[in-house]
Amino acid sequence: MNEEIYRLNCYVENKPGVLARMVGLISGRGYNIQALHVGPTEDGTVSHMKIDVLATQKVVNQIILQLRNQVNVIEVTSRKM
Amino acid sequence: MKRQMRKGAKALVESLEKAGVEVLFGYPGGTVIDIFNELDTAKFQFVLGRHEQGSAHMADGYARATGKPGVCLVTSGPGATNTITGLATANMDGVPMVLISGQVSLSAIGTDAFQEADMSGICRAVTKHSFLVKSAAEIPETVAQAFYIATHGKPGPVVIDIPKNVQQELTDAQYPERVSLRAYHPEQAARTSELNKMAKLINEAKKPVIYAGGGVIAAGAAKDVASLAAKAEIPVATTLMGLGSFDEKSPLSLGMSGMHGSAAANWAINECDVLIALGVRFSDRVIGEVAKYAPNAKIIHVDLDPASIDKNVVAHLGICADVKDVLTTVNSRIKRAEHKEWVEKIATWKKEQPMTFPIMHKGVIMPQQVIEAIDKASNGDAVIVTDVGQNQMWAAQYFRHNHARRFLSSGGMGTMGFGIPAAIGAQFGRPDLDVVAVCGDGGAQMTFEEVIVAVEHKLPVTFVVINNNCLGMVRQWQELFYNAKYSGSILSPKGRGKNEKIPEDLDYDYLPDICKLAEAHGAKAYRVIDPKKLDAVMKEAIDSEKTCVVEVIVEPRANVYPMIPAGKSVSDMVFG
Repeated sequence: MNEEIYRLNCYVENKPGVLARMVGLISGRGYNIQALHVGPTEDGTVSHMKIDVLATQKVVNQIILQLRNQVNVIEVTSRKM
Repeated sequence: MKRQMRKGAKALVESLEKAGVEVLFGYPGGTVIDIFNELDTAKFQFVLGRHEQGSAHMADGYARATGKPGVCLVTSGPGATNTITGLATANMDGVPMVLISGQVSLSAIGTDAFQEADMSGICRAVTKHSFLVKSAAEIPETVAQAFYIATHGKPGPVVIDIPKNVQQELTDAQYPERVSLRAYHPEQAARTSELNKMAKLINEAKKPVIYAGGGVIAAGAAKDVASLAAKAEIPVATTLMGLGSFDEKSPLSLGMSGMHGSAAANWAINECDVLIALGVRFSDRVIGEVAKYAPNAKIIHVDLDPASIDKNVVAHLGICADVKDVLTTVNSRIKRAEHKEWVEKIATWKKEQPMTFPIMHKGVIMPQQVIEAIDKASNGDAVIVTDVGQNQMWAAQYFRHNHARRFLSSGGMGTMGFGIPAAIGAQFGRPDLDVVAVCGDGGAQMTFEEVIVAVEHKLPVTFVVINNNCLGMVRQWQELFYNAKYSGSILSPKGRGKNEKIPEDLDYDYLPDICKLAEAHGAKAYRVIDPKKLDAVMKEAIDSEKTCVVEVIVEPRANVYPMIPAGKSVSDMVFG
């Protein structure tokens, strides 16, 4: 399977440490984050993270499931860039 | 009525009481003195370890033996970092734990203060979740959330890092009646269509195998597995973590599968047409070469963790739900069935390749005999707590496991040094049962200091040290795969690598003297060399009300068989 850039759209609780957990889970597996944007949503208690990673579809699926397991994560979706 | 103000430290102790804590394991230090100051009047017992890693493993062993979360309290900096191995061990095996660490005062965080470490950062990769508490008012709710997270979904360790000034701050905050977490809703129910499909696959199977893991024990579903096996006559293999989830005395038991599993279990999985995998994560130590794993089987994978389904092995039917809930329904939907031919074939395999071992040198105890002696002396009812390596595999292979939560072992992390402290934790949780730690001489030396805790609490734990004077599993791999170059794996002062520059005139065979070490820690010590005396000594030690250390000098060159080398398949199984 080819590695391609996927954008992970993550909606998370706006709390300290959440970004570090999300990013750490990806980088700890040896995947490089190509681009990262974090900002508030209209609901100020929820943040929207856009994380671009270069990986295979299989790895991205696995990362999504593991991100969703995190306690402060509301939803994660992905799309190929 | 006006609610009473009290210090954060007091609020923490009250919250732990409300959470139902019965035993707190830990070690004091500068940033947790305020909490220790409140312990005297706490409703739970405090158990002082001798090293924070030991305290963390005690909490872990307590949790594995009881199913209740293990709780541990340590100071900031080195106290906190010493628990990392304990947290990682619990995290890999899905053990519920809550660890409270002190932290330097909020104003000092980030200033490289004395005994400051970014605990919530350091522990991130080895915990299920972590909290840094920033005001005393948050303490009760945080404790409630931590216990909820540790015990719901796939269990795991949770860290609460509490700065010293927060412990001293006053608050009137109360423990919440209910916990609500906005984003964390791990309870998932199986769809009816999935359950019907599972029942259909089982009903149509000609050569089914149940493959039961630690998730069965965590879900309390051992009885449901037994019902499923009995109703449709399905043989049962387990993982290392699943030992005890099915009675190995049953004719349907295949024992453990995987790298050092029984030949019958591995052959059955290789040949089965439906593999019913319950509460497992398909560890690499079980599956070997993925492409050749259960090649003829439709795989049904039931697990609570959505991330474990299709991770290592792609399932024909993946069901993300609680094993007990699933089996409750499925057991009522399957037909009573017989698989006579299949079960007979398996019986032949079991006769053909039983778990046996040769006596390598007459008069020298084989390590497997030690496990058999424990099995006999405890009537198969003891809680067996293993260390890691050959001792762990022999304990898995030669003890007749028949109760859930009575085989405690660091499966995922493979943490040497786990055995002694985890056995102590288990005995605090199950004072009604015999607890026997099975250690090698390597792992025993890593956490031996904790034996004192058993002695001072008069715990009747039996610590068995299988002494082969080397790191047996490393030595075995070196013998089989590295041209018998025993680099770093020999613990005797004799026969070491040149590079270690150990003087040749050293006058010791065995260092340390385990019995003297045990006596120095206040334990009753036995050394067994003669095979004829093994059974009697083991019986005496296990029956004794005292804390005993039994050192058994064994054949140093014994290996663990059968063995499927890492990454290989069933056809590569070696019998020694």
